[in-house]
Amino acid sequence: MRLEKCWFCSSTIYPGHGIQFVRNDAKIFRFCRSKCHKNFKMKRNPRKVKWTKAYRRLHGKDMTQDSTFEFERKRNRPQRYDRINTEKVLQAIPKISKVKATREKAHITRRLSVGKINRKMEDRRELEQSISLVKAPSVLKEDATLTLPKQKVTVSYAQTENTPMEE
Amino acid sequence: MAARFLSKSPSGRSLLGALGTSLLGVGSVARETTSKHAYSDILFQQQRTFVQMGTNLKVVDNSGAKRVMCIQALKSKKGAKLGEVIIGSVKEAQPRGKVKKGDVVYGVVVRAAMQRGRCDGSHVRFDDNAVVLVNKQGEPIGTRVFGPVPHELRKKKHVKILALAEHIA
Repeated sequence: MRLEKCWFCSSTIYPGHGIQFVRNDAKIFRFCRSKCHKNFKMKRNPRKVKWTKAYRRLHGKDMTQDSTFEFERKRNRPQRYDRINTEKVLQAIPKISKVKATREKAHITRRLSVGKINRKMEDRRELEQSISLVKAPSVLKEDATLTLPKQKVTVSYAQTENTPMEE
Repeated sequence: MAARFLSKSPSGRSLLGALGTSLLGVGSVARETTSKHAYSDILFQQQRTFVQMGTNLKVVDNSGAKRVMCIQALKSKKGAKLGEVIIGSVKEAQPRGKVKKGDVVYGVVVRAAMQRGRCDGSHVRFDDNAVVLVNKQGEPIGTRVFGPVPHELRKKKHVKILALAEHIA
């Protein structure tokens, strides 16, 4: 029994699922479900289809280089059965997959954090500029509670500014 | 469409057999003609069926024949699947070969466009319909086999063909 990867979407194909297509040049394409099979028949390039792993890796949406990928490399040479080795491997698999999952999640949150900051800055700018649509500026001046709270901005070059000019 | 009709009629298998083959023939032909005018997604949803009477198969050995038309699928009323033996009539042959045009020959289906289920639950399908000519005892007439062959042949005891094959799928 061998867990294969779907040619189109790169998900694992468990036994009893999917179709194998053998082309006349003896290249075998495995598909996990008919969705992938039909897309292949339509001659779609998986690198251009948004929901496939191939697209995500190519466009940097998912993690591409990591040491956890080394464990899953395909080995064609059969290994002699070693009970201790097998037990160790079976214990290691959930640990590795957990580490891999946390790293992938971290990659995605890191990628999305930039957008979060941008959105907040845009919201603040919109508030500063268009508050007059909500409340008249004269009202804002009279009532102190309606002013925007002071924003703390960390300035990294503060040190060099404070040092006096030495002559 | 053809499959739905088969499931509906409750009559005996013999009636179904006669009706089924003609319907299947008509059904697949109808789909072929409409596919040229219909949208592109219908074109790629071709319903693949058995190798039956009238099916043109490519010959992938060096016995001399190029195309063979199936005249009988042994062992099944519906038609031949991957790995099964058929009787065919040679429609096209190379000038100097072991078989001539018009010969009636036995053949083993080595590639079928219809998927065949394997014992581990997976399905395999090939790109085209291909056959290897064989004598009554099951030994191949030619000395070479081209293209990939399935390992279903081992169970069907066509070991010689597997030995000649360049790639086993």
